[in-house]
Amino acid sequence: MWLEKLTKVDFTNLDKVLYPEEKITKAQVIQHYVRMAPKMLSILKDRPTVLTRFPNGIDKEGFYEKDMPMGTPPWVKTFRKYSETAERTINYVVCNDLDTLVWLANLAALELHMTLSKIDEFEKPDLLVFDVDPEPPASTDDVVDVALMLKEKLDGLDLRSYAKTSGKRGLHILVPLVRKYTFSQTREYVHQIGTYLARESPIVVSEFSRIKKPGTVYIDYLQNSHGRTMVCPYSLRATPRATVSYPLDWRDVKKGLKPEEFTLSSVAKSESNPWKGMLDDKQKLEKSVD
Amino acid sequence: MEEEPIEEPNTRIPKRPFWSGTVTIGLVNVPVKLYTMTYDKAFSFRFLHKQDGQPLKYQRVCTKDNAVVPWEDTVKGYEVSKNRFIVFEKKELDAARPPSSEKIRIDKFVDYLSIDPIYFERSYVLTPDKSNEAYSLLLTSLLKTHKAGVGRITMRTKEYPLLLHAYKGGLVLTTLRYADEISDPDNFEELKRLKEPEKKELDLAVKIINDLSGEFDIKEYEDTYEENIRKLIAKKLKGETIIAEKPVKEEAKELMTALQETLSQLKKQ
Repeated sequence: MWLEKLTKVDFTNLDKVLYPEEKITKAQVIQHYVRMAPKMLSILKDRPTVLTRFPNGIDKEGFYEKDMPMGTPPWVKTFRKYSETAERTINYVVCNDLDTLVWLANLAALELHMTLSKIDEFEKPDLLVFDVDPEPPASTDDVVDVALMLKEKLDGLDLRSYAKTSGKRGLHILVPLVRKYTFSQTREYVHQIGTYLARESPIVVSEFSRIKKPGTVYIDYLQNSHGRTMVCPYSLRATPRATVSYPLDWRDVKKGLKPEEFTLSSVAKSESNPWKGMLDDKQKLEKSVD
Repeated sequence: MEEEPIEEPNTRIPKRPFWSGTVTIGLVNVPVKLYTMTYDKAFSFRFLHKQDGQPLKYQRVCTKDNAVVPWEDTVKGYEVSKNRFIVFEKKELDAARPPSSEKIRIDKFVDYLSIDPIYFERSYVLTPDKSNEAYSLLLTSLLKTHKAGVGRITMRTKEYPLLLHAYKGGLVLTTLRYADEISDPDNFEELKRLKEPEKKELDLAVKIINDLSGEFDIKEYEDTYEENIRKLIAKKLKGETIIAEKPVKEEAKELMTALQETLSQLKKQ
């Protein structure tokens, strides 16, 4: 079998080491994305993607790329949109097939970040996200505590939620939605829940501040905005151990959870799919928070 | 092997705009997209190893010890005098570039025919972006006045002087060379000592020119070498061609297995 018959991508520098500490090569990075593709592509479908590229490995300078890279092949789907934050038109890459995913991996786009809405209704998010992030010395156990409080609150609102590691220290809690709300509505809803939890627990912070108070856990609601992105589930992170943002079963969100154990090599053989049916679980925000 | 049709350049339309932004004339903005319009038609060949027909690759070799140098171990050097270099980091060079912008700024309008083609570098077609009223107005007014706009554009972090003119129903942007990129003929000593021609000879020369005068038509000229190579390729395709085999490295083998597995899984979905 020839490689050319399996993919349109012309691989380059496969033996280049991208994670020096773990001696992980570009070939292994591409393999990771190939293995994750069946689960990843259904989530990435029709979403503008933002890349974080490390062509010379994570120890060297990386860059954030919103615009499609130079030399983007014509078979890659793109989405043209004026970005209010960047004040210019951006041609986003839309990763709808295996070839595109593999092509991005070959560009050393280690991290893939995606929008919370899709190109056909860009102003109506189909996902709502709580980004739960600890400020040291707050620990992962503190994040777990807050995530479980959050789940309880969402359960009370009859909302089914889905958790994943951020690939760094935090957790992302998602609620898939019927596409009828605007970003300002989802943002406000997430903010209200954050404010509610901040009243219940002294370690929860629900308001954005540049200086984070040590030992607190911040629930970021601002990510629920037009054009903002979240690291895609199954995406690698540019961390020394090649951690992965990985979907969790709520039963595993408990004290002693170690997000740093979800790495390129540890998730390779994982068959489980705790997020099965997530994208079809479209919900309405019917109950008011208080 | 499939035979790829070799397209005629003048029917080709590029898939994506090369650049998009606005033409700015004073307070007026015309949103436009820019497409490549000139092509180099020359055939390109690759060097093969004569014995086994496999493609050759280039390597960067150190002139001192003949060691092969990987890209990450290279820097750029400017040769100040023979074998003396000033070294530049990528960061330093990047910092010197002008920021790219989405504007084609027109400073003034000139008589199109008054500009010598010596300055012309590369031409691009402009098409209207969103509204075509402003575009049409600009095009029609240039046609009516026989003028061309002179201004500047920043593309791929280089700034170019430019000429904006009407051509066959569209606006065409031609980037221009800077003055110091052209050497004047009067720098040549031989040209400083030219003799005045005799009147009789001059009259004859003018007569010949007048006799041979006609309309300009580029189609009268064909690239015969290109045409011959094209015929040769067609002939050789019927006979034997050497197909390059890509050596599959160890890393790529695992990748191939993973790709096969995922492709069959995706088919089931």
